Amino acid sequence: MQKRRVVVTGVGTVSSLGNDPAQLHSALVAGETGFREVDLFDTEGLRSPRAAQVDFDPRAFFGKRNFRPVDRTGRLVIAAAELALGSAGITAEALADLQVGLVLGTMFGSVHTISAFDRRGLEAGPKYVKPLDFANSVINAAAGQAAIWHGLRGSNSTVAGGTTAGLQALARGLDMVRLGRGTLLLAGGGEELCFESMMGFQQAGRLARDGGPDGPFPRPFDADGSGVLLGEGSALLMLEEAEHAAGRGATVRAEILGHGSFFDVSRGADPEVARSALERAARLALDDAGLGADDVDLVTSGGSGLVPQDRIEARAIASVLGDRAGEVPVMAVKGAIGECLGASGAFQVMAAIEAVAHGEVPPIAGFEAAAADGPSLGFAARSRALRGGRVLATALGLSGNATALVLDAGRPGTGGPR
Amino acid sequence: MSDSNEALGPNGEPRIVVTGIGLVTPVGTGREQVWGNLLAGVSGITKVESFDTSRHSVDIGGEIKGFEPEPWFRNLDPSQVGRASQLAICAARQAVDEAGVEGAGLAPERIGVAMGTTSGEPGLVEQFDDRWLDGELPHVGGEFMGLYPCHVIAAHVASEFGFGGVNTMLPAACAAGNYAVGFALDALRGGRADLMLAGGADAFSRITYTGFARLGAIAPEKCQPFDRDRRGMVPGEAAAILVLERLADARARGARIWAEVGGYGLSCDAHHMTAAHPEGDGAARAMKEALRHAGLDADDVSYVSAHGTGTPTNDRLETKAFRQVFGDRDLPISSIKSMIGHTMGAASAIESAVCSMAVAEDRVPPTINFTEPDPDCDLDCVPNEARDVDVQVAMNNAYAFGGNNASVIFQKIA
Repeated sequence: MQKRRVVVTGVGTVSSLGNDPAQLHSALVAGETGFREVDLFDTEGLRSPRAAQVDFDPRAFFGKRNFRPVDRTGRLVIAAAELALGSAGITAEALADLQVGLVLGTMFGSVHTISAFDRRGLEAGPKYVKPLDFANSVINAAAGQAAIWHGLRGSNSTVAGGTTAGLQALARGLDMVRLGRGTLLLAGGGEELCFESMMGFQQAGRLARDGGPDGPFPRPFDADGSGVLLGEGSALLMLEEAEHAAGRGATVRAEILGHGSFFDVSRGADPEVARSALERAARLALDDAGLGADDVDLVTSGGSGLVPQDRIEARAIASVLGDRAGEVPVMAVKGAIGECLGASGAFQVMAAIEAVAHGEVPPIAGFEAAAADGPSLGFAARSRALRGGRVLATALGLSGNATALVLDAGRPGTGGPR
Repeated sequence: MSDSNEALGPNGEPRIVVTGIGLVTPVGTGREQVWGNLLAGVSGITKVESFDTSRHSVDIGGEIKGFEPEPWFRNLDPSQVGRASQLAICAARQAVDEAGVEGAGLAPERIGVAMGTTSGEPGLVEQFDDRWLDGELPHVGGEFMGLYPCHVIAAHVASEFGFGGVNTMLPAACAAGNYAVGFALDALRGGRADLMLAGGADAFSRITYTGFARLGAIAPEKCQPFDRDRRGMVPGEAAAILVLERLADARARGARIWAEVGGYGLSCDAHHMTAAHPEGDGAARAMKEALRHAGLDADDVSYVSAHGTGTPTNDRLETKAFRQVFGDRDLPISSIKSMIGHTMGAASAIESAVCSMAVAEDRVPPTINFTEPDPDCDLDCVPNEARDVDVQVAMNNAYAFGGNNASVIFQKIA
C-alpha cells in the first residue's frame, strides 16, 4: 500500500535559548547555553541550583486569556503549539473547521503538580485540595489543556517514554498521518523544570557536578562528563500530509521519512544489549525511510553527559555509520539546553532542521575531547558547515527504550526513494 | 472464508486477533474467575484499606486485597518494582501463558508492549511526599526516578519476558487501555511487530482517591451506572493485558481466538479537562471513527461496553453520544464499573477483554445495582443479570480527563 507522505509545515518552541527555532539555532552556533541559577522554585536541598530554566512570562504571552487553570507544563506546550500553528499558517478560524491532532511526548506531565496536590491533601486535609490541580495531575493534562486552548479536536495522545518520549511522539504522529488518522497533527514534546524532578535526579546520582556559574555544564560525549543538568521547554512540529500541504501552498521545512524502536531488555545493565537495541532502531528507521546508512548527512543525538549512556549511544551510532563514522557530524543539544526529558527528542529534531536550513552544524556545548575508549565520531567543539539534509535522530532512555527517527530537511517534499 | 485470503482484511492489511487475556481485578485474578464473577454480578467494592480515609467523607474503593506478586514473576524481583508494574506483570504472565507465546518460536525483538495508565506508579511519588513532609528528603534514593516515571510499567513487562520489540506507554488517563489496543493494532498491521501485548495498569492511589473525592465524584455506597439515583464512581485498581497477533499466525499455531480487533477511533472534546462535551460531541466522533476504521455501520454493533462511570454527568452525556450514533435503536450497553469500580488506565483494557469474551461466548455482563430507570439514560443497560446475546460486533468506549476519547471494535471472525 502506498504510504502517505508526511511533511513538517510548522515549528514552534519555547526554550531556554529563545522562543524561535532560528534563534535557538543562532544561540547553539554561538556556543551559548540556557543554564542559570533556577529561580522558579526554592532550590534549598539541592546541591546545585543550576538548570536550563525557560524565561517565560505567561502574562506577556497569553495576554488577557485566563491561564491560571493551566500548570507550567501545560503553559509551555500551549505556547509552543501557538507558535507552531502560526508558523504553519493555521489560523484560529481555520482550526474551527479542521480536526487538528496532537501527540505530546512527556516524561512526567507535571510531577510538581502531582506532588503538590498530594502534599496539600496531607497537610491541609483532603477537603482543601484544588479540583483544578487534580485535573492537571493526570499525565495527559498538558495535551488536553492545549487541545482546549487551541480547539484541537483531532486525535489527542500523550506518549511517555522518558528521554525518548519526544522521538516516540514524532514517530507516532508520523504513523497516524500515514494511516490517514488526520491530515494535520502537532507532534513533539513538553516538560517543565521542577524541584521534584531535580531532587529525584540528584538523589539518583544522575546530575552533573556543579561547575559554578560559568560551568562547565553537562558535557555530552566528553571524557569528563559527570551527568546531566535538567532543562525544560516545549518543541512541536506541525506534521501534515504532503498533498494537503501542497494543496494549500504551505512552506515545507522537512519530510519525516521513517522511524524505528526496540527495547533493551537489560535496561542498560548490559551495554552490548543496549547498543544493539539502538543500532537496530536506527537501521529500522533508515529502512522505513527507504535510505541507507550512507545517506545520513547529520546525526542529532540524545547525548547528555551521562557517560555510560553516551558511550552506548556513541557506539550504536558508530555501528550504523560504519566507515563514515568519523565524518558525519553529530549534534547533542542537551549540552546547551539540558536534559529536557520528554521534550528532548523534539528539540533534537527541531535543532537539526534548523542546522540543515542554515547549512551549519552547531557545536556540542561543553564538549572538548571524546573518551579515549569510545568510538571516533563527528563530535565538534566548534560549529562547522553542513552539506545535505538527511538526518538521523537517536535516543536511548534510562529504562530501555531505544528510538530513532529519519527525516530529510534538505530537499523537503522531494524525499528519498520509495 | 477459510482459504488463505482470510488472513487479510478488505484493505489488504493483515487481520489482527486476540489470543490471550490476563486479568487481575477487584473481582478476582485470572480470566475465568473474573469473567465468571462479572457474569454473576459480583461486586468487588469494599472499604478502602491501603491508606487512611478518615479525613474523607467516603471510604469505598475497588482494591485488590491480598495480592501476592511473587508467583507471577520469573525474572525481575517484585520488591524492586511498583505495584502497578506488579499487577501488569501478573496480567501479562496469564496472557502470555494462555496464548502460548513463549513456545511459539517468535523472535523476542518482534514482540512489543503497549500499555496505558492514568497515574503510573503513584505509590512512589506518595512515598516521596511522605518523606518530604517528614523532613527526610535526603533519604530519597534512586528508586524515585528509577521506578516512578510511568513508562517503567511497559519497560518492566518487557524486561520480565525479554520482549525486545517496540515498547510504549500511553498515559491517556481513563481511556488509556483503548489507546494501547489501538497502538498495538497499528504496530501489527504495519509490520512493526509479530505479536503485541496491549493493556493497562493502575494501582490504588491516595492521590487519585483524594482528587475524585474532592470533585464530589465518589459514590458513598455503591456504583450504579445509568440508575436515576446514581451518586458517583468508585476508584479502583487493576491490570489487564491482551495478546494481539495476526490471524494467520494464530491459525497456524492453533491458538484459541477470542475476537478480531476490527478498528479504533480517537477524538478530543477540546472542551473541558474533567467534564465531557455537553452534547457528547467527542465521544460520538470517536465511535463513528472506530466504525469507519472497521468498515462497519452502527447497525452492525450488537453490544457496547460503556464508559459508564456512574457519575450523574457522565452517564447522561454518554447516553446523548450513544443516541447520536445509534439513533433510537436499543442494543445492550452495560458497565462493569458497577462491579469493579473505575480502574483508571486499566479500565478500558479490562473492558477490551470483556468485549473479546462477549464476542467469543455470546454472553454480556450486567450493570449491577440498577433499580430505578433514568429518563436521561434511556438505555438497555442489561440491568443486574447477564444476558445471552449474539455478539457479532462489540464496541468498547472510554472517555478520559483531557477530553481524550477512544473507541475500539471487537468482532467475530467472519
